[in-house]
Amino acid sequence: MRVAYFSPMPPEQTGIADYSALLLPELRKRLDVHVVRRGAKKRPRGMDVALYHVGNNPGAHAWIVDALRREPGVVVLHDFVLHHLVAGMTLARRDRDGYLDILEREHGVVGRLLAHGVIEKRIPSLWESRAADFPLATFVLEHATALVVHSRYVRDQARAAGFEGQITVVPHPAWPPPRAEPDRVSDGVVIGCFGVVNASKRIPALLRATAAVRREHPEVTLLLVGPTSPGFDLERRLQRLGLSGAGLVREGWVDELRLWRLMAGSDILVNLRHPTMGETSGSVIRGLSLGKPLVVSDVGWFAELSGDVALKIAPDDLEVDTLTAALELLATRRDVRDAMGIAAREVARRDHDVGRVAELYASALERAAGGDSVDDTVLRDVSGAAAGVGISANTAEAREIARRLAEVELG
Amino acid sequence: MRIAVCRPQVPFAHGGAEIFTDTLVDELRARGHETDLVSMPFKWYPGTRVLTQAFLWRMLDLDEADGRRIDVVVATKFPSYLVRHGDKRVWLVHQFRQAYELDGTELGQFSDSPEDRALRRKVQELDRMALGEASHLFAISQNVASRLESSTGLTAEVLPHPPQQLDYRCQAYEDFVLSVNRLDRAKRIDLLIEAAARDSGLEIVIAGDGPDRERLERLARERGLDGRARFAGRVSETELADLYARCLAVYYAPIDEDYGMVPLEAFLAEKPVLTTTDAGGPLEIVSDHTTGLVVTPDAGEIAQALGWLREHRDEAASFGRAGNAVAREITWDRAIERLLA
Repeated sequence: MRVAYFSPMPPEQTGIADYSALLLPELRKRLDVHVVRRGAKKRPRGMDVALYHVGNNPGAHAWIVDALRREPGVVVLHDFVLHHLVAGMTLARRDRDGYLDILEREHGVVGRLLAHGVIEKRIPSLWESRAADFPLATFVLEHATALVVHSRYVRDQARAAGFEGQITVVPHPAWPPPRAEPDRVSDGVVIGCFGVVNASKRIPALLRATAAVRREHPEVTLLLVGPTSPGFDLERRLQRLGLSGAGLVREGWVDELRLWRLMAGSDILVNLRHPTMGETSGSVIRGLSLGKPLVVSDVGWFAELSGDVALKIAPDDLEVDTLTAALELLATRRDVRDAMGIAAREVARRDHDVGRVAELYASALERAAGGDSVDDTVLRDVSGAAAGVGISANTAEAREIARRLAEVELG
Repeated sequence: MRIAVCRPQVPFAHGGAEIFTDTLVDELRARGHETDLVSMPFKWYPGTRVLTQAFLWRMLDLDEADGRRIDVVVATKFPSYLVRHGDKRVWLVHQFRQAYELDGTELGQFSDSPEDRALRRKVQELDRMALGEASHLFAISQNVASRLESSTGLTAEVLPHPPQQLDYRCQAYEDFVLSVNRLDRAKRIDLLIEAAARDSGLEIVIAGDGPDRERLERLARERGLDGRARFAGRVSETELADLYARCLAVYYAPIDEDYGMVPLEAFLAEKPVLTTTDAGGPLEIVSDHTTGLVVTPDAGEIAQALGWLREHRDEAASFGRAGNAVAREITWDRAIERLLA
């Protein structure tokens, strides 16, 4: 079966480009995949189905959503919150009416008024301040014939948003760890945190919890890897908590190999998030592959991780206390770390194997391309047979047949 | 207990699954369970017929019969396990293999069209749903259980069952090698014929019938095997027991077979089995140079191995006796105890 594949691809530096680079070789073992060149307006001729990778970054995905809006197809919804994308495809193109209309359609008059406020710069941009409250996913969902999502959380969000088509939950594939020596930044226990440093990654809570753990266990070191978001006052926070010298190792952007080495050299990986945009985390997936114990926020996709591999921290008033207890437990109990690490590797092998992921993609695409035709034929056969023995529509017997068909997802 | 054993039936076909389910009903009755066989015709083509035929099983009401509750339903092969029941136990003979490992091979049935691809996925979805709702899930072999796990993620307990009851005995190790099988391409009888063409001392008896018979007979003629290859056709139970009793060894080399009753039958007659490295289920009981010989699926290797058995009859007998010990461990008492536990 021929598939038109719309996605950012390397050398674009996005997580979804890396994702596609990992997935494509396995997917091509199962399907005839044609990667569409960046900026193309339509799928190539002769394709049976199109697959559109959609994330919240307009720079990487606007052209893909443009193509989707011309020709509907299967959408991989990497984020549920798409407000930033929508803003990039409307306001950034001087299409104010488009932005106003979308806000009004999804959130009524209040939405339209807020959009006016954003346009007139009377209130902060909603995609930066309140994106989770105004996800604007319908902008994409209304053109999707089927969805691929990475979590039950996003599936439920899409259903709540009114999407009635086929939704397949496909786990994020796991990268095989490269053969490289771990890079240990300290002889003591290392807590690694990888990704952009900002408030939504709960870095303030992580810093306070680390400082608390270090009061009893000064051998613990926090390794913070990733660029700092503009406006996030990391240095001042570190000084205030006494973490500016010993106890903290800071790295900015690092290349892929060094990222793996630093992760491999960590004893605990922390990946907190709130609010969530419905996204998965490449860092968490890498941590599973490496067999590292994880500490995550109890939200969205992260909440769906097994308790065997991740300690989950609710982003509530007790967040710092809970996080402190979790870090203290893992820092002091090697046996717990080891057990969680073994479980993590097993989860990576079982659930995130790229071959299994590709198989789920192939299934979703094949069902999306030919499923309606199959359903129609089955329904025609069954209803014809029912009519042949005198069962007419809207009778108890017809309802029973319909119920049984629904049970087995036929028709 | 009141038990319904469910079996799809391809009209006019009678093979291992039919023997298994008929025997299961008899054995359950012999242990005091009120048991009946529930069977429906199955046709898997053309197009979506496989789904509509599967759906028939979903429409059945086996909660009770004639006003009395049915305690347990035992479903066996696709699509009988779509049946609904509060205590549905699946003793899986095999899934609809065309939707899995046979897809894309000459034994597959689904084309590359979007409709056929979607149809195949629908069959897989049905499996996940219907097998997932079973109260107990057993598989007749590790091979079937492994396929199930890799295709659906479901885990089945391996529960082998004994072969059909015949007058098993060992009378002699005569010169001929016996093949017992339905004659279709997947059973690879042609490899045995090609092996006989390479070894003028090799005599073969081919029991069974099927759609590949004409081609195989022609192949035997073309290879000049007249007199050394006998097509016995479908034989009676008495004849079959006699062939087992007298043969030197049994050839059994299907591609990725579910389980394979033939090796167990051969063992009960104390005969070694020659199989191949890609035979699937048979490899769970045929061990190289212990209960038989395992070679690559190559006519030359097969000829060499069968020649070795002819030259080493003591070893052949020893392998057969070792196989006999394996086969005797598999009893209906043990199987039914686990099935109904």
